[in-house]
Formats: sequence, structure tokens, C-alpha cells
Amino acid sequence: MNRSVVITGVGAVSAFGLGLGPIREGLLAGTPRLTEVERPEGYHRAGGARLAALVGAPDLGPWLPAGAGRRMSPPSRFAVAAARMALRPAGDEGERAGTETAVFLSTAFGPASFSEKLYRSILTDGPETASPFLFTECVANAPAAQVAIACGAGGPSVTIVQREAGSLIALGRGASEVTSGRTSRALVGVVDELPPMAHALLDRYGALARATPESAEVARPFDRRRNGFTASEGATVLLLEDEDSARARATRPLARIRAFGGAFDASASRVGWGTGVATLRQGLLRLLDRAGLGPRDLGLVVSGASGSVAGDRLEALVLRALFADLPLPRILAPKAVTGEYGGGFLASVVLAAERHPFGPTPGFAEPDPELGIVPHGGGALPRGGLLLAGSLAAGGSAFWVVLETL
Amino acid sequence: MPHEARPRRIAVTGLGAVSAAGWGVAALWPALREGRTALGPFSRIDHTRHRTHVAGQVPDAPFSARLPRHLARLSFSERFALFAAREAVADAGLAGPLEDGPVGVFFGTSTGGLLESEWYLDRFWQGNGGRAALNLMAGHQLNAPGDAVARHLRVTGPVETISSACASAALAIAAALRALQEGEVELAIAGGSDCLCATTYAGFNSLRSVDESPCRPFGQDRGGLSLGEGAGVLVLEPLERARTRGARVRAQLLGAGASCDANHMTAPLESGQGAAAAIAGALADASTGPEQVGYVNAHGTGTPLNDAAEWAALVTAFGDRAPRVPVSATKSIVGHLLGSSGAIEAVATVLCLEAGEAHPTAGDGPVDSRLKVDLVRGEPRRLSGDPAALSTSLGFGGANAALVFARGPGEAA
Repeated sequence: MNRSVVITGVGAVSAFGLGLGPIREGLLAGTPRLTEVERPEGYHRAGGARLAALVGAPDLGPWLPAGAGRRMSPPSRFAVAAARMALRPAGDEGERAGTETAVFLSTAFGPASFSEKLYRSILTDGPETASPFLFTECVANAPAAQVAIACGAGGPSVTIVQREAGSLIALGRGASEVTSGRTSRALVGVVDELPPMAHALLDRYGALARATPESAEVARPFDRRRNGFTASEGATVLLLEDEDSARARATRPLARIRAFGGAFDASASRVGWGTGVATLRQGLLRLLDRAGLGPRDLGLVVSGASGSVAGDRLEALVLRALFADLPLPRILAPKAVTGEYGGGFLASVVLAAERHPFGPTPGFAEPDPELGIVPHGGGALPRGGLLLAGSLAAGGSAFWVVLETL
Repeated sequence: MPHEARPRRIAVTGLGAVSAAGWGVAALWPALREGRTALGPFSRIDHTRHRTHVAGQVPDAPFSARLPRHLARLSFSERFALFAAREAVADAGLAGPLEDGPVGVFFGTSTGGLLESEWYLDRFWQGNGGRAALNLMAGHQLNAPGDAVARHLRVTGPVETISSACASAALAIAAALRALQEGEVELAIAGGSDCLCATTYAGFNSLRSVDESPCRPFGQDRGGLSLGEGAGVLVLEPLERARTRGARVRAQLLGAGASCDANHMTAPLESGQGAAAAIAGALADASTGPEQVGYVNAHGTGTPLNDAAEWAALVTAFGDRAPRVPVSATKSIVGHLLGSSGAIEAVATVLCLEAGEAHPTAGDGPVDSRLKVDLVRGEPRRLSGDPAALSTSLGFGGANAALVFARGPGEAA
């Protein structure tokens, strides 16, 4: 069986608010929604990053009753709310997914705040005082499990943990389940929370954008002055269905998934990006070839460029190598607005596939001559061609998905 | 029904293992055959304040298992993963880097480098979390063990890590199977790795899920699980490719299935319906009828609820035959390896198929009279005919996975 798979629903919880609409507005304005991260004593170093795209404590009432939410970690709450939003267009009474629905969620950090609380209590109060509630909600797959429980999804429950590449892997593998006919639908997406400790650790690794005497603390994808990314939290969940079933229900598909695949750059360090341009280009060509496609078929790129010095360099060089003598298509860098992690990127991919207009790429002003990429400057997106979404993870993993606008 | 319905048949050509039984498959297999438990006192973490004091700790690496100096700073999970992967690749007769052709790594883990993260946090909260100590956190990311394998083998295909609690590695092996069947990769390194740490030991104790004695899966007086650590790795490739290069086909991976209970974060569905759905999916994927399954390597944790639910699932899957299907519980020997349990148990399943015998479950107490499990005890049991074998993995959050293996075609036990 080889069915066509489409996206029919989207749910999101982000610093911009609930749903896809607020993210769309943020991207159109080209303005990130950053707030000051709490700085418990000793967590952050002086002079380090201060800002992140935080969800705060949103009222998830329509999607998650407060009583149920109290029995969940923050990422579980985000994921359940986003999943229920994604199911709404499918007309499911009570946002029930059905026993043949798979859940593929990715997370970079898992329920980090609960993990921190649990280990702190073990250290300070003794291991025998560990809370069973904190323990069961601090496992990486707690959000996926809570989504399955809340939505009655009885298909495979898979949590992908591949850092920045995770959301696209979840999208691709969820699509594979539906394409093959193993399940009829899949809830796929990404969820992350960013407690102060996770923010402080990212900063200690030098991953985050910092203010300098010349510039503010801003992520600058592909810019010569880039010095790191801004981190974010939240969730985005998509509903995937086979196209025939979706159309039979008169549901308007948002985009069709045409191809996906991954590659690995073994020159990367455990926590950084490598220089394996040829390897990653080969991986990209391989996935396009398997789908009977080539670089000429691509009309838009949603890049995972985040403002990372090494990551953006690799991303740019791979894209230039892929298109070689062809003119580069329009390249979006939505993480300049949404931040890294938390689902904003995946939401941006859907919006770009629908060809919603995007605003200018904030933070970009000075092209990096080595990279040779000028990201989208604002306005309508080109209509023709397929969309390539890619994300290169620290550590070496990379994954791409090709989407078709409908 | 023949085991040949799939257009692309997938062979297991290499195995690697690290467990409390020791470093390497050569250390694991005798422990399995003898039903000799490796569970006992351990020192990986301080457990003096706990009610329980038993786990399956990997012994110190012998000289032959030591990694090169530049890899010595890796986390325990990464080192277990690397050793098992190197062993599996060598076992598959593959030499050197695997950078030619699409080769993928599909790994499962539950805790990754959490032990080292705990060490870091100890220092961090004492105001000593400087740059040097940050290396301890480098392995914290759950993708670290799989990435370490991919980096070391210079893999260029997809590298993906799954963390779905105790089903992680079985789901990773299933993901590898899909990638091979769909032609996305031509060779897959699939498995999992996990390490004992204070958080999981305290967490499972907080749930009162840990037995004070070495665990007794399906036992009448079972009192919970015993945690373990280690790694298991399988080299998978299309059967025709394996034959072409003259590799030894140790077994076939016929199919995989997965499901979710969608019921509770820790308690399984009493009816076992979730696990039964995963088993049914795996058998359908394998084009194998339940009557062809002649051996089950059970998830068998030793917790009262899990074992009962798993038995209910086996009854659903096999009907009246269920009490006559020999069952082994590898966790009685090496403990519960959490995210990598599905990998070490897949290795055990392949070894049993190859030898044509089910390994005994450690322990000698009575089997739960309410569960009519044909638990193999004492001595290895000869498998009758040429059976398919089922390996189950049932995790927190209701994540279930099942794998179906068979002996390599033409391979007599």
C-alpha cells in the first residue's frame, strides 16, 4: 500500500499564544516574542543570554481542563492542548483520535523542569522521598503518552529524541505509518519546555545569541554577525491522514507530504555541527531521487537556520551545493522569529506550505560572504514548486521533508 | 504460511551485547543458557537509603573491551553502545567505516547519559559547574548513544533515536526494519543502550515496583522488577545483500508491530489488549500466523500487573495454544535495561533461535498459578520444528512493541 498523505489539522502552543494564527501573525510581522528568562542564583553566567520565547502559563482551558492539567508536566500540557487543536478540523467529537491513530512526537529536552525537581529532591531530601508523580511525568515519552490517553490514540506511540532534527523526523515517520497503511492517521509534532536551567546550560555551551556592544540579543540566521540562536518552548502537533479519506470527509488538506529522509554528518562533535557538506548533499539528493524528484522541483526552502555560527554555515553550504548551478529558491529562516525548539519551526513549515506571506527575517542585515544566502525579505511567497524543509541537528543528524502546496 | 511474503526480507547478520553478564555476546549466551542471574549487589549509584539493593550492573570493562583513549570521556551509555555496535559490525563481517552506501543507525534509550548529568548537577548546585564539568552534560542528550555509534562507524544515512520508555529499542529496531523494507537504507545498525542512575532507581522504588530480591518474572510471589544496564545491537540488511556478500545470516527479522494502551501512564491495561494489538500487528506484518510462533521472549518484568497483562495479551494472541508456547524472561538474568531492554532481548531471541532452544528463566520459585505460562526453567528447552519467535516490549505510557524473528532460511539449528 502506498497512500498519499496530507496534513489536515494543526495545533500549537507557543509564546505567541494558542493555535497557528498567532504564529502566522508573528511571522508576518517578523517580530519574535521574547521575554526575560528567570535567573535563579548561580544558573546563568554574567553577560550571558537573557531572552527566550517562553509560553508562560497560558489558559489552556478550552483544550485542557485545569484539573487534568495539574496531573501533567508542562510539555504534556502543551502537547495535549496542541493535539486536541489539531484534531478539531477532523470533526472528532471530544477530540478523540481513534484506535488506529499513531502518535509521533519529538522532544529535545523532555519534561526538563520535572526532571530537575525530581533529582533535586533526591539529592536534598533523600532518594526515598522521590515523587512517583514527578517520576512518571519526567520520562521523555510522557507527552506522547498523555496525548494518546487524552485523544484515545491506540496506534504506535513513538517519541523521537534527535534534537533539532526531531520534529521533521516525527513528521516523516508519522507519514510513513499512514502511507504504508499501517495506521489510518497520525498525530505528529514536537514539544519542549525551557526552564531556566535548560536555558542556562545552552548558554554555557555558547549556543545562544548574546548581546554585544554593537548589537542586541537577537538571532541572526545567515547574517555575518550571528552569534547563536534564541531558544523557545511550546508544542506544535499536526494531524496526518491519507488523502482519500480526508477528501471523502470534505476536509481541506493543508499540504501533501511528498518525500522525506535523513543523513548523518560524522564530522560533527557531540554538541556541535560538522563540515560534511558533501555527505549531507548526497543524503538530500538520495531522498529526492527516491521520490522521483530533483533540485529543480523545489521552489521554496524552509531552512532550519537559527543564528548558530556553525549550524547556519553548514546549512548554507549544503543548500548551495544542492542547487549548484541552479538559482537558489526563496529561503525562509523562521527560527529568527519563532526561536529554536518548541514547535515554532514546524508550524512555520505548514504556513509556508500554505504559502502564507512571511515578513522579513529579523536580525538579518549583513550577508555573510562565505554563506552567500540572503533569506526572505518579506512579502508573498512564490507559488510554484515544492517546499523543502530541513533541519540539521547538533551532533550530526539531519532530516528533510518535501511538501506540496494544495 | 511461509515466512516469505515480504518483498524484501531482512536478515540479522551481526549481534553485539553488553550486560550485567559481561562484555560481549560470548559473555551473555552462557548466562542465558545456564539461566544464571547476573543480578545482585551493585555500586553504580548510592542506594543505601533505598528499600531495595539489587540491580544488574555491567562489570568493569576487561582490557579487551576498553575503548581508545579519545573515547574514554564518553558516558557509560555511549560506551556500552559503542562496544555493542563494534561487536555487531565485526560479527557481521563488516570491516572499517560504513560510509559507503546508505547506512542508518536506529537507537533506543530511556535515560541516555543521565548518570553523568546527575554528576554534573551535583557539582552545578554546589557552584562548581564550570566549563570543564560541562563535558559530563555532553552525553545527556538522549540521542548521544546512537550518535556516538554513527560517528564512530562514520555512517552517512539517517540516524534516529527513540525514547519511548521500555519499548524504545524495539521501536528502534522496527524503525530500522521499515527503512530497510522501503529501500531507504541498505544496512541498519539497530539497538539501544541505557545505564543505571539515581533518578530511575529512586523513581521505580517510589512506585514500589522494585523487587527486594532478583526479579521473578511470572513467579507466584513476584515483587517487582530489577533494574539493569547495558546495550544490545543488531546489524540488519536485506537477505539478498547478505547472501551476495557471503555474510552469515543469524536470523530473519520478519515483522514488527506497535500500539499504545492509551489508558494510564504506568499501569498496563489489565486485559492486555494494547499489547495484544502490537503482537497482532507484528504477526500480520510478518505474514506469520500465531500457530507458527513457537517461542516467546517476554517483556516479563516481574511486576504483578505487567506480567498479568502480558499473559492476557499472549492468551489473546495465541488462544488455547498460549499455555503451550515456551516463554523466557531474559530480565531475570540481566535485569530490566529500560530503553535498551528490547535490544538485548532481541539479541537473546536470535541466539535462542540459532541454537534451537529457549533459554531458561532464572529463579526456582513457583510460577503464578493464575498465569498458565509455560515458563522455561532450569535447563534450555529444545524448540520444536522451525518456529517463529516473538519478542515483546511494553513500556511506560502504554507504549507497546513486538518483533517477530525466524531462523535464517536454510539454517538448521
